[in-house]
Amino acid sequence: MGFWNRGRTEDLGGGWPQRKVEARENGAGKLWDMWRKSLKKALKFPEYITENVSEELIRLEDLVKVYDTGALKVLGLKRINLTIHRGEFVAIMGQSGSGKSTLMNILGCLDRPSMGHYYLDGVDVAAMNPDELSLIRNRKIGFVFQSFNLISRTSALKNVELPMTYAKRNKRFREQRARVLLERVGLGKRAEHMPNELSGGQRQRVAIARALANEPPLLLADEPTGNLDTAASVEIMELFSQLHKEGTTVVVVTHEEEIAAFTERIIRFRDGEIVSDKPNVPREPEPCGGEGFGASEEGEAIGDTDSDRQKALGDRLC
Amino acid sequence: MLIENMKMAFSAIRANKMRSFLTMLGIIIGIGSVISIVSIGDTMRSMFEGLYREIGVTQAYLFIGYWVDDVRQSDYFTLDEMERVKEVFGDQIAYIDSNAYTSADAVSGRTTVKFGFTGIDYNYQDVQPVNMVYGRYLNEGDVLGRRKNVVMDTTSTMNLFGVENAVGKTFRTTIYGTTEEYTVVGIYRKQLNPFQAMMMGANTEGGEAYLPYTILTWPNDYFYALRIFARDENTMDEFYNHVKAFVAKNKGRQPEDFRLNSAKDEMGQMDSIMGGLATAVGGIAAISLLVGGIGIMNIMLVSVTERTREIGIRKSLGARTKDIMIQFLTESAILSACGGVVGILLGGGLVVVGGALLGVQAIVRPGVVVLAVGFSAMVGIFFGIYPASKAAKKDPIEALRYE
Repeated sequence: MGFWNRGRTEDLGGGWPQRKVEARENGAGKLWDMWRKSLKKALKFPEYITENVSEELIRLEDLVKVYDTGALKVLGLKRINLTIHRGEFVAIMGQSGSGKSTLMNILGCLDRPSMGHYYLDGVDVAAMNPDELSLIRNRKIGFVFQSFNLISRTSALKNVELPMTYAKRNKRFREQRARVLLERVGLGKRAEHMPNELSGGQRQRVAIARALANEPPLLLADEPTGNLDTAASVEIMELFSQLHKEGTTVVVVTHEEEIAAFTERIIRFRDGEIVSDKPNVPREPEPCGGEGFGASEEGEAIGDTDSDRQKALGDRLC
Repeated sequence: MLIENMKMAFSAIRANKMRSFLTMLGIIIGIGSVISIVSIGDTMRSMFEGLYREIGVTQAYLFIGYWVDDVRQSDYFTLDEMERVKEVFGDQIAYIDSNAYTSADAVSGRTTVKFGFTGIDYNYQDVQPVNMVYGRYLNEGDVLGRRKNVVMDTTSTMNLFGVENAVGKTFRTTIYGTTEEYTVVGIYRKQLNPFQAMMMGANTEGGEAYLPYTILTWPNDYFYALRIFARDENTMDEFYNHVKAFVAKNKGRQPEDFRLNSAKDEMGQMDSIMGGLATAVGGIAAISLLVGGIGIMNIMLVSVTERTREIGIRKSLGARTKDIMIQFLTESAILSACGGVVGILLGGGLVVVGGALLGVQAIVRPGVVVLAVGFSAMVGIFFGIYPASKAAKKDPIEALRYE
């Protein structure tokens, strides 16, 4: 469908970026790769940004983040060691103050660790300068935020185009791809709408389309359902599940068990440390089991208001 | 990317119409006043040039310099000498006369009108064409025969005789102490635009008449200056130098002792004075541009703060410092350039409309317009640098957290 992945995969059904390396074996694929490489060279992005080099998408080694508030130093993250492989669907959980936001910022290359290493796709980004980090964010990471963070007074289409603009893609390419992506998230007919004309769920879907614009290997979602009602939350999480099934690595930061239940691995944080890291059998949307929703291990961590919401989320699913 | 930036800038400007307009106002006034002042200067210059063209740009007066202390009688001119100059330079001279002028009261019946009499040769019509409406121009016979015939304009005949067509009518006047009767042989109509009328002094009360220069200049009399019209404007400077040298040699003087006052030189002086004046006043007006620029900086700072979150989003999506910087610089440049364009339309329009009301062809030079737009954009960029760099330096995490 989309010409950017022509010859790269057999399955062009959804026009979705697929990361099946073996699909590149045919002649057209090689030609495509050559053309892509020469294009990348012309665009002058360093190879470590444009090429996927590592099976370990994220590796944190003794990562420490210290906040210097002047009088006293606060330890945000205490020697974190963590590896996330390509294609995983991970939830990072914890209460506010647990360090998950700090980790999120570092994983998103918005912030730099104080000590240790952060290898994103095999490249240590811990020592990069802000502009290099911008490039990394542009090509390697797709952000989905709690408050959507669409640019107001700018159509959904333009919002989705934005990362491609910063990647110096030409206008035709941007527009075509943005339309396909919006189609993919079910907003093909609302491409020209402004963010304030869309519902919360729709906005978040635009944000997801935008996050996918440059085919980043990592999709980073920070409380993606925090501002959404139950129905929309489920929709969004199902979308993430689907993306994951199609090969994208998805990391969701959340404090809601129901949300984490959609993922395949749950990492829990408390006081800047990983307290548990367990695989999770993702909840299928169809079957409706009365018990075990979210496989709650730390139910005590969730407050009363959240309990109501949990119940609602569970009800919606059943 | 640039086009994207420009689109974004326009949408940001549109989003805050009133604020953008007020910010632009400084630039509008600045550019508008600079454009109108420069254009008024240009228009004045062209009007003066027109004026000089009217009186003949090749015209010059040659006379003994006022800096010469020991002026002798021979430093003045006689008609014989004028004839010699005429012979020597022949075709290069379009017209020459003794620059004779006198004023006297003209009396017709009970009407007395103050008249100015200019002594001319019969071919004065060649260099100073007038539109004859009645009768004839002065001819060679009038000049050689020293006939007391005059040519005057319709205003003068109206003042003196009460009718336009006064051909054949006579009046009395006293020239050099001798009262004689003069006959009107021809009448012309003056066509002056309001500016010419103002500058040349439209004489609505008195009268003006041409009469043979031989009446005003006697063969043995000395006169002060030669009035010459060169044939060719391009070679006139060289030609006049030759004339000056010739005359000086005849009188046993150095050429530097004579002064040659040409209309072209005078026009150049006037032009440079007007140009200098316009530049000086325009420069003062340009200070208001500075004020406008500060206004832009102020509003851009507000805009940057307001859009902190947007900056954060853009950065999270991969915008580099440079990208944010360029985005805001584009916005301030466009804000300023828009003000510049409106200012030009306003200033230029004012001059054109004003000129039309005064019956003058106003001149707005395209070069000045381009310069003004360019300058206003420069002001925008210059005063946009600080806010833009402030925006570009924002920390993405802080910016994303900003409410």
